Amino acid sequence: MPPLIPTLPPAASSIIRTSAGTARCVAQLPQQVPIAASFSTTASRPKFSKARRLFRAWERMEGRIYRRPTGDGPQYLAPRGVETVDRPFPLNPHFKSTKVLDDRAREMIWEKIMRGGETIKAVSAEFGIDIRRVAAVVRLKEVEKDWIAKDKPLAKPYAKAVLSMLPKHFIKPNVSNPPFEPINELHVHPYTMQQIFWPTSESRHFTREDAAKAFHPTLLSADKRVPHPELVQMEREVHQGRLLWDASERFKQNVMESERKAAEKQVAKAAYEEKKTTRINTERFEFRFKQFNAENVGLRGRSRNAVGWRYGTPHDDRSKGHQIKIPTSVP
Amino acid sequence: MVVKIRLARFGRKNSPFYNIVVAHARTARNNKPLEVIGTYDPVPKPDPYDESGRLHKDIKLDSLGIMEPKYRNTEPRTPPVLPREALPQQN
Repeated sequence: MPPLIPTLPPAASSIIRTSAGTARCVAQLPQQVPIAASFSTTASRPKFSKARRLFRAWERMEGRIYRRPTGDGPQYLAPRGVETVDRPFPLNPHFKSTKVLDDRAREMIWEKIMRGGETIKAVSAEFGIDIRRVAAVVRLKEVEKDWIAKDKPLAKPYAKAVLSMLPKHFIKPNVSNPPFEPINELHVHPYTMQQIFWPTSESRHFTREDAAKAFHPTLLSADKRVPHPELVQMEREVHQGRLLWDASERFKQNVMESERKAAEKQVAKAAYEEKKTTRINTERFEFRFKQFNAENVGLRGRSRNAVGWRYGTPHDDRSKGHQIKIPTSVP
Repeated sequence: MVVKIRLARFGRKNSPFYNIVVAHARTARNNKPLEVIGTYDPVPKPDPYDESGRLHKDIKLDSLGIMEPKYRNTEPRTPPVLPREALPQQN
């Protein structure tokens, strides 16, 4: 409980001054109320600092154009005569705001894949957008269309407001567009982080394949580990003298083939899982018994793939900072 | 020693999760078992993207492993009668 101090009864004047008179009143009316809200009675000093005065002046002269932003995108502050596209904070050149895909561009990506039947890889290569981003765009568009079909309210004003504050990347149909981001970037494999001394003869043609083998016998070469190995193949063919349209057609076939293989693999995996599962239907639930081998516990009996919660190991699901709660896969 | 197949509770408060274990009958619930042979998730879950409202429970079980000979004779047996020579000598 807060300490109790005696105060005056409500007076006619709203301002209660602490003075010698208070003590006198206290002696007469010893009322007890908590001190919880003790207000400052000092009036705030009207302060018009130099910085504020300069800002007002700037606002009236040069800063006038920022009052009513023109155009669709953001209008970043910049020194006079300098055009800045991606620097929201003029004094911080290291902070760059990256572009986001425009809604029409996302719609076009969805159209191409879901209506046009193009592959994700081909669309990614055509527009220069990361494969994962293309896949995410399609997924989110599907959710949006599902919501529209179910008459669920969309947060359109919010999306509009956010997009109006961000630089956007537009895609024009039927023309070649500048790439949105680098798409064939290589993930740095931990095997390649070592320095090794690998003697080889000068006359030998030391390729990327050989380099990969030098790092680790199972490591694939950089050409195969990139997201679009088919693009490398296409460029090779163009270099060998194949016509561009022919090479690009072959590229499309190749990516179609690779996506078909990936889909087949997924189906085979699902079938394998299904084969191991026994489903028993009851009135309330379906029980799914999954068969597996309890002996697979690794050399020390503590393998990560072993079934069940582990003994003698802390489970860090609630400790701060250890766990990443962003889902890493889509069911 | 009597060996039992039973559940060991893991998970958190209000979100149980069980290991199906083979353990000596006289050990505590969450003691280290002889073997973990499966898991049982008692919380019913829907399938992703399934809106029928049908729920399922996941059980992982090494049902072939239970039939192994090492767990066949789990009935309490009478201790073997040792020959006199094997007993500790008392002078």
